[in-house]
Amino acid sequence: MSNEQTQNVNMESTDAVMLEADTPTERYLTFRSDGITMGVSTNYVIEILTDHIITELPRVPDFIRGIINMRGQIVPIIDIRLKMGKPRSEYTDTTCIIVLDIDSVYIGIIVDSVQQVLDVDKTQISAIPVEDQQGLVNGMISLSSQEVLLFLDCEELIQAY
Amino acid sequence: MDNGMDNMLDMYLFETNSLLEQLDDLLIEAEKNEELTTDDVNEIFRAMHTIKGSSAMMEFSSLMTIAHRIEDLFFYVRENGIDSLSHDAKSELFNLTFKSTDVLRSEVEKLENDEPLSTNIDSITTEINSFLNKISGVEEATGGEAKESEGSGNAAESLSVDIPGVAESNCPYFLQIFFDEGCGMENLRAFMLVNALKDRGMEFEFYPEDVETNSATSENIIEKGFFVGLNSEEEMKAAITAVEEQGSIQTYEVIHHELKQEESMASAPAVEQPVSAQSAATSDSSAPKASEQSAGKQVPAGQKEGAGSNPQHAAAKQSLISVNLSKLDALNALVGEIVITESMVTSSPELQNLKLDSFLKSTRQLRKLTDDLQDISMSLRMVSISGTFQKMNRIIRDMKKALNKDVRLTIVGEDTEIDKAIVDSIGDPIMHIVRNSMDHGIETTKEERIAAGKNPQGEILLSATHTGSEVVISISDDGQGMDPEKILNKARRNGLLTKPESEYTKKEILSLLMLPGFSTNEEVTEFSGRGVGMDVVKKNVESVGGTISITSEVGQGSTTTLKIPLTMAIVDGMEIRVGHSIFTVPISNIRQSIKIAKENVLYDAKGAEIVKLMDEFYPIIRVHELYNIDTEITQIEDGILIWVETGDQSYCMFVDELLGERQIVVKPLPAYLNSFNIKNFGISGCTILGDGNISIILDVLNLYAAANV
Repeated sequence: MSNEQTQNVNMESTDAVMLEADTPTERYLTFRSDGITMGVSTNYVIEILTDHIITELPRVPDFIRGIINMRGQIVPIIDIRLKMGKPRSEYTDTTCIIVLDIDSVYIGIIVDSVQQVLDVDKTQISAIPVEDQQGLVNGMISLSSQEVLLFLDCEELIQAY
Repeated sequence: MDNGMDNMLDMYLFETNSLLEQLDDLLIEAEKNEELTTDDVNEIFRAMHTIKGSSAMMEFSSLMTIAHRIEDLFFYVRENGIDSLSHDAKSELFNLTFKSTDVLRSEVEKLENDEPLSTNIDSITTEINSFLNKISGVEEATGGEAKESEGSGNAAESLSVDIPGVAESNCPYFLQIFFDEGCGMENLRAFMLVNALKDRGMEFEFYPEDVETNSATSENIIEKGFFVGLNSEEEMKAAITAVEEQGSIQTYEVIHHELKQEESMASAPAVEQPVSAQSAATSDSSAPKASEQSAGKQVPAGQKEGAGSNPQHAAAKQSLISVNLSKLDALNALVGEIVITESMVTSSPELQNLKLDSFLKSTRQLRKLTDDLQDISMSLRMVSISGTFQKMNRIIRDMKKALNKDVRLTIVGEDTEIDKAIVDSIGDPIMHIVRNSMDHGIETTKEERIAAGKNPQGEILLSATHTGSEVVISISDDGQGMDPEKILNKARRNGLLTKPESEYTKKEILSLLMLPGFSTNEEVTEFSGRGVGMDVVKKNVESVGGTISITSEVGQGSTTTLKIPLTMAIVDGMEIRVGHSIFTVPISNIRQSIKIAKENVLYDAKGAEIVKLMDEFYPIIRVHELYNIDTEITQIEDGILIWVETGDQSYCMFVDELLGERQIVVKPLPAYLNSFNIKNFGISGCTILGDGNISIILDVLNLYAAANV
């Protein structure tokens, strides 16, 4: 704790290099879905699966694609596009499933492609201007290019009503 | 730390519960024979001693006090021999012991439910004390004499003692105690012994004095022994008893202290008490336990003491260990995966068309091993039903007394094994049915039975048998049976009838008993009846996938039969295909599967499809329509009908094809999906197929409900 405080003091002495290293950062896995770049904290991520057979379930909302067998564990799979009210698209060979552990609830999300892991300065995350995307996004940050990164609200994801 | 506390509490509850159960068995058996043997008394004494010790350690003072009182009582009985008690005193002793174990058990239950313990336990302790006073008052004179005469034999030889402190002590007697070689933590063992002696309210000195805090004293104790100084011969004898009960004690010796040698019976020969048969047993049984315990975490001292002080039972219990059920479940899941992975590896498409002789040989071996592994891991969850059955002994005994009925309980097939989870959930239903039989089934008086030409002693038969995939448990009595007229009358008064009385078959009348809010007995007794009975029983049995039925003949008795699946985790299922989806229907629900022609399909008033089978009409549910599955098979003659049945519902499912029968391991669906009401659409779980794919298990009852919304 005291260590952190001294670092804060250092920060105030405007050392740009130190700033990058010392601010509270969190690692985010970024992925793309329907042209949007989104991020999910790596704390939630269990693994990324490609090419898995999904068993469909009857009589469920269409964003629930079904269940998979991940080494004996049954994991429900939802399509993040459909969950956000976007149109369905064909699954390609970059399509993959990110399996998340959200407060011990396992859930897999289907995304168009997985990109990279980024260190994000949490203090730079700003609120989203409008409540949209079915409330699945709880913050955003602008990336170096003209892109923005939207943060997936994992808690909201499992509040599936 | 918290976790450690929980572990200790778990251990404590497990140990105390099993001791209480053993006690109950023992008492029932003893009461049947109207005789408490010396072994029994010792056993009770030991059990109480252990409970007292571990309760004291966990700081459950009420439990400790009660156990302590019973221990005192049986200490007395043991000292004086059970035969010294009069007949009345004996039966009072039984009742008192039963009562106290009940109090103990209810306290333990409170612990389990996280409720505060009773603070007022005076009534039971006073009762025990006054009983103890009563019996000891009568026999004090003779008892005292016996003690004295015994005492003279136990003189001791003096030894040169060079433990600091011992020389200066004024105590005339010393016990020199050696612990088992290599048992470890000698100083703590010595300290436990000190506590045990203190519990008996004895005054004594001990050396080395700092055993509690100074672990270096261990070496001293190993080398020279641990010394307990006592003031009188009687105290010494009491101390010897206590020492004998302690675990890990190899040998002890009575030493007469030098200072007072002249005054004592110097001529008496040395009484060396080397390892007697009993202490040998003690060391044998406690050694492996000790190592087992020290291998794990820090185990409470009281339990070690308990393990050691219970030599007879330790021998029998030795081969059992208790394991957390969730660990077993995890093991089972893992083994299930290994089996699946194994078949994924060996039937991998990349290996096709390759000639791999030695590979095939090894995979065959692997398959055999994994199959064995799976069998064993499945069997771990299976426990014998005898525990549940034996508990009924106690209920019968109590009710026999209270209702003044003479009834014997016959148990058949108590070795039958069923899944642990199921055993736990059928205990209450069985108990309820037994109580009902006892209370309402068996005639109130012997005279009634004699008049009906029956044995004056009533009989309740509890039996369990395996039939393939299920266990049949039946509880029958040879009592007065149930009068259908009375049941109908009662049902009418309670407004439970749904059709004209004359249309009720006998089976239907008896099943009225299991409706909520039905009770045939007008009065509510202590034991049964309040109308919350059989419907709850039925619900409990159904919750584990079982069924319940009652048969009864007026004047000849009634039988309640429970059919319970062996395990909920594994079911025999029929795999079916609809479109690209694979489903599994439990075989137990399937009556028949049939191919029918288009002409056989009839239509009811609403235009729904029905089919006539064995002179009855059954609705047809098309699974592909219900679940919106694309399939090419929509013509009734292309697919197949599965005639299913559950409870009182029967209908036909139309599916594409049957894929075959197999045993499946049921996995629940992820909790996340429950919010989508998926269970109400007839999906009860899923299972992983040999190729790693998932098959969805259909719930026949809910599927029917879903189709009729």
